[in-house]
Formats: sequence, structure tokens, C-alpha cells
Amino acid sequence: MSKVTKGLASAVLGTVVLAASFSAQADSIKVGFNVPLTGFAAADGKSARIGAELAVEQVNAAGGINGKDLELVIYDDQASPKESAPLAAKLITQDGVVAGISGSYSGATRAAATIYQENATPYISAYAVHPDITRSGDYVFRTSFMGEVQGRAGAKLIGEMMGKKRVSIITLANDFGKSLEAGFKEKAAEFGIEILGEYDYSIKDREFGPIVSKVKAEAPDAIYASGYFFTAGPLVSQLRAAGVDVPVIGQEGYDGEMFIKIAGASAEGVIITTSLDRDSTDPLAQAFIQGFQKKSGYPADMVSASTHTAVLVLAEAMKQVDPSDKAALRQAIASTSINAATGNISFNKLGEVRKSVQVQVVRDGSWHHFAVISDPVLLAPPEE
Amino acid sequence: MLALDLLLQGVVQGAIYALIALGLTLIYGLLRILHVAHAALFTLGGYIGVIVTNETGSLPLALIVAMVSVGLLGIVIYRLAYKPLLDQSPLVALIASIGLFIAFEEVFRLVFGSYGLSFENPPLRTQVNLGGGLLISHSKLLVIGMAIIMLSILAWLSTRTRTGIAWKATVTDSQIASSFGINIERVRYLNFFIGSALAAAAGVMVALLTNLVEPTMGAVASYKALAIIVLGGLGSVRGTLVAAIAIGIVESFGTVYVGHILDRDALAFAFLVIALMIRPQGLFKAG
Repeated sequence: MSKVTKGLASAVLGTVVLAASFSAQADSIKVGFNVPLTGFAAADGKSARIGAELAVEQVNAAGGINGKDLELVIYDDQASPKESAPLAAKLITQDGVVAGISGSYSGATRAAATIYQENATPYISAYAVHPDITRSGDYVFRTSFMGEVQGRAGAKLIGEMMGKKRVSIITLANDFGKSLEAGFKEKAAEFGIEILGEYDYSIKDREFGPIVSKVKAEAPDAIYASGYFFTAGPLVSQLRAAGVDVPVIGQEGYDGEMFIKIAGASAEGVIITTSLDRDSTDPLAQAFIQGFQKKSGYPADMVSASTHTAVLVLAEAMKQVDPSDKAALRQAIASTSINAATGNISFNKLGEVRKSVQVQVVRDGSWHHFAVISDPVLLAPPEE
Repeated sequence: MLALDLLLQGVVQGAIYALIALGLTLIYGLLRILHVAHAALFTLGGYIGVIVTNETGSLPLALIVAMVSVGLLGIVIYRLAYKPLLDQSPLVALIASIGLFIAFEEVFRLVFGSYGLSFENPPLRTQVNLGGGLLISHSKLLVIGMAIIMLSILAWLSTRTRTGIAWKATVTDSQIASSFGINIERVRYLNFFIGSALAAAAGVMVALLTNLVEPTMGAVASYKALAIIVLGGLGSVRGTLVAAIAIGIVESFGTVYVGHILDRDALAFAFLVIALMIRPQGLFKAG
């Protein structure tokens, strides 16, 4: 049924094009931005767009790119590859963007990445996790962690930093959850973790009664559970309702206000690995956190922080070279070394980000600092 | 103990499936329409349950408001969407129903937002000891209780009251029933009211368990309920009940022990296929 729904929705909405600014200034530098503004991913799309727009405003207020304004050309991709691929072609050939940023999910980002690569135009994935995105080629970069990297960080967090050794794993059975699980299991033994049980659920599941019962019977020291706010919220809520009180460790899919809203009091004490430290004293991070709250009316989240970072990375690279020279721009991005709201950013040979993992905990109904993991060997993304 | 606990979780899930699927089977039994939009009424029930509980703090009131208003909406759907199509092929009504379902999902998204809604203070989260360390939350107890009460009322209505007998007569042969002075229109209205109200009750129950109602929460319910009524023997109330509980239990054990091979839906449909290979007519004959 959802396929029918999506088909109809894309037929109707495919004709609707959202361009950020029709009154493009002649001396502005255009950047393509695909983002899900409608459909199931619209909530993340909204955060991504506001994060990107905030970054553009900040860059332009600080003098732009060597005197020229940065301008986003925004299209709604509904988080669908069917939408994002033609949109990428349109952005490059008709709108004349010099580079692109994805504020979208893995499927849409992968499809667009291929088009950007074919046209030798730099493309930065802000928060999509699929490993194949950066493997599209040397023009594609990613400013968020790969699932495996975050999974390894989760193993260190639970086994070493928290000292919990008996762990049950609950995995969302998609590319995101499976790559997290792989990274976690890869390093589990190294940190002395014994895996008591592994359970998969589908992205449609909201009722976890049987898994909760089984995990409860295993009596673990901690639970490593992957998911998005709309699965993790109900899962944590049901774990706590069944009297399972051990720490639940999640990832950036939980990150945001919606998880806390759904899980309510059950959210207290839940710990995640993510990209944004809410309690950071770094002025850049604080400028972002406060600017986002002011612009959107709700607290900053991982999606908005990652998108904000992606725009800043691109803007910084554009200042180094002539932005219309795409090969030079690609080279400048590849040698990025900047401080952004999500930490110190640089890329490896494959275009994967190197940065620290922020560990956040829910306290008094909002996300707060718990720890930072900055172990370059543990967190090294794949090189090819 | 774990096996007993999993059995219990399966019964809870089965009770919810039963509440959803019963309305569907009642409507199919009476009109031979596959009422896909039924699942949208389930979603609406969940939304009303959460909103009224958050506004008034009373879950019983929310349950009543959800059941009555969604029941009435069921009647409106019959009157406006299905009644004009009754003399057409059942496929026409099926297509209308799918269209309605999609339209409802989008309306929910526009009216309630795409993020979903949750209880501000989730009710009934405390646990009861059933003895021997077997714990169950009050909300799950309520789900099972609701299913038993609703189905008992339904059984009593259909066998002990004139309305119920009129309903049975209309299902068997509406023309002869009509010639005996039974108002078949009234029977159909009542049928849609009861079926839709049960779906709304299921929506509120699911909201209690998951603490999240979303525009798309009816999607799984729509095809799962269809599978259940097919398994039960299309149009059979008893069969639907047995099939719902059976699928609930299969899913409960399956997600824990073979969940990494087959997900919940795949398990349910694998069970459906195997059961239909053994009994192609469904578990029970319609009637």
C-alpha cells in the first residue's frame, strides 16, 4: 500500500518544484541542494534545509565567497532516487551549480552522487550513511559518520567507557542498522563485550513486545539498539514499561527532539553516539546551536548540524580556489581542514570524514554532553 | 517462563489484529466489499485517542469518543462511497476503497503533521504480576480485556438479539430478509458502525502500546487484516478471531527466533501460505 501511496504522491508532487530563490543575483555562486521537503522524511528534510540556510546566511554575513554571495538552489527530492537523479542533472546542466549538497537519505543521495560524479561536479552528502555513496567517485564526499565507524564507537563506549560487558543487540534491518551492527560486532570482543542475543526488526515495526520479553529474559548489562526516532521512541518506551532499566545505547538516528517527545520519561538516561555536542563551548558550535533555535523554533539536531557543516566545508573550499573550476574545487574540498559545529573536519582518500564522535545523553528532557570519543585508529573510515 | 511471556505477547498482538480484522470481515460478509480504507479508520481512532487523552486526561472518554466518532464516519463512508457502487463489480468498490485509504493518509499528514503524535503522560504503564514472575503491563491487559469484551458483546448481539438475527438473515440472503420486513439499510449502517468502532478501539490500543500514532500506521494493518480474514475463511467471524490470534503468536515467536531471516510480515505471510496450502478454504467456513 505504501508503494501505491508513494507512487501517487510522487506523481502529484513531482510537478511541484521548490526553488529557493528565483531572483538569482548574477554575481552569486550557486550550490545545488536536494532535500526531502515532503513525504516520510519531511521532518529531517526541514531540519536539513534550515541548517543549510543558516550556514549560507552566516557565510554571506561574513563577506560571502571572496565578495560573492553563496546561493542555495533547493529542490524537494522526497528522499527518493527517482526524484534526486533527474534533479541532480537539472541542477548541473540548467541551474549551473558549481557543486551540490545532499540534505537527504541514502537512496536519494546515492542516485544523485552518480550524476554529480559523471559531470565532474563536487557533491557532499551531509548525513546519508550508505557506504556506496562515496564510492561513486572522487568528486563525492561525506561529512557524517559511516555506520561501521559509529558502531565501533558504540562498542568502545559500552565495553570500555561504561564498563558494561553483557550486551543484547536490537538492529533495524536496513543499510543503516546493519552497518552499525557490523561495526559494533567487529570491535565487541576487543572491548570484552559478550553478545547475549541479536534481534532484527523492520522499519515498519512499532510494537516490540516479543523482543522486549526476550531481552528481559537475557538480563543484559546494556542494550545496543539501532533505529530512527520513530522506531527507537516506541522501543525505549516499551523496554522501560516492561521494567528493563539497563542503559540503552543508540546512535544519531535517535538524535533530535522527536525521540524525547515519543519516549517521554523513558528517554531519560538514553545515550547515543552522534555528531553534535549540545553543551559544546566552541563558539562556532554555540553560534550554530543558538542560530538554529532562533531560526527554526526548536533545538538543533544531528541532521541540521551535519548539513550546516557540509555547507561550511564547501564555502571554505570555494574561498581557496576559483569556484567555477570544479576540479580545483574538488581538490580544495579533499584537503579541507576546518572547525565546524560538528568538530574538526577533514577527509580521507575516499572522501569520508575524519572527526570525533560525540556521545550525548538525555537528561531532564534534553540532549546533553556525556563523552567524546576521538580515537583516530578506532574511528578510521574505510579508505576505498 | 519466556515461552509463556512470548505467548502472552502474541495474544496481545493477536487481540489487536482481531479488533481490526473483525470489522473487515463483517463488511466483507455482508457486502462482499474488501474495505481497505478500514485501516485508515484504525489510524484515525489512534489519533483521536491520543488527542482526547492529552486534552482531557481521560483515557476512557478518549476511547468512547474515538469509537463513536469513527463508527459514525464508517457509516458516512458506506453512504457516500460504497452505496452508490453496490450494483457495480466488487472491483470498483475495492478501487474506491484504496483511493479512500490513500486520501485519508494524506489528510492525516496535512491535519496532524508528518511527525506523529504521542501521549503527554502515557497511561497504564504500570505492571501487574500474573504469578510466577510473569509480568504484564496494564495497557496490555486492557488490550486483551477490550478484545474479549468487544467480541462477547458482538457474539451476544448476533445470537441473542433481534438486530443480530436480522443481521444474520441479511448476510445469508438479503432479498429474502428484506421480504420478511427487515430493513437491510439499517443492518448495513449498523454493520459499518460496529466494524469501524472496533477498528478505532484497536487504534487506541496500539497507541497505548507504542505511544506513537503516525499518518502511515494503517499501512501494515491494511494488508495484515486482509491476510487474516483470508486465513479465517472470508466472512467468518470465528475464523477471523482464530486466525488473528494464530498470526499474533507466530509473529511473537518468529521475531525472536527467526527474525534475522524473516521479518514479522514475511513470517505472517509465510504462515498464511502454508495454512492455505493445507486448508484452501480458510480455517473456518464463512457464515
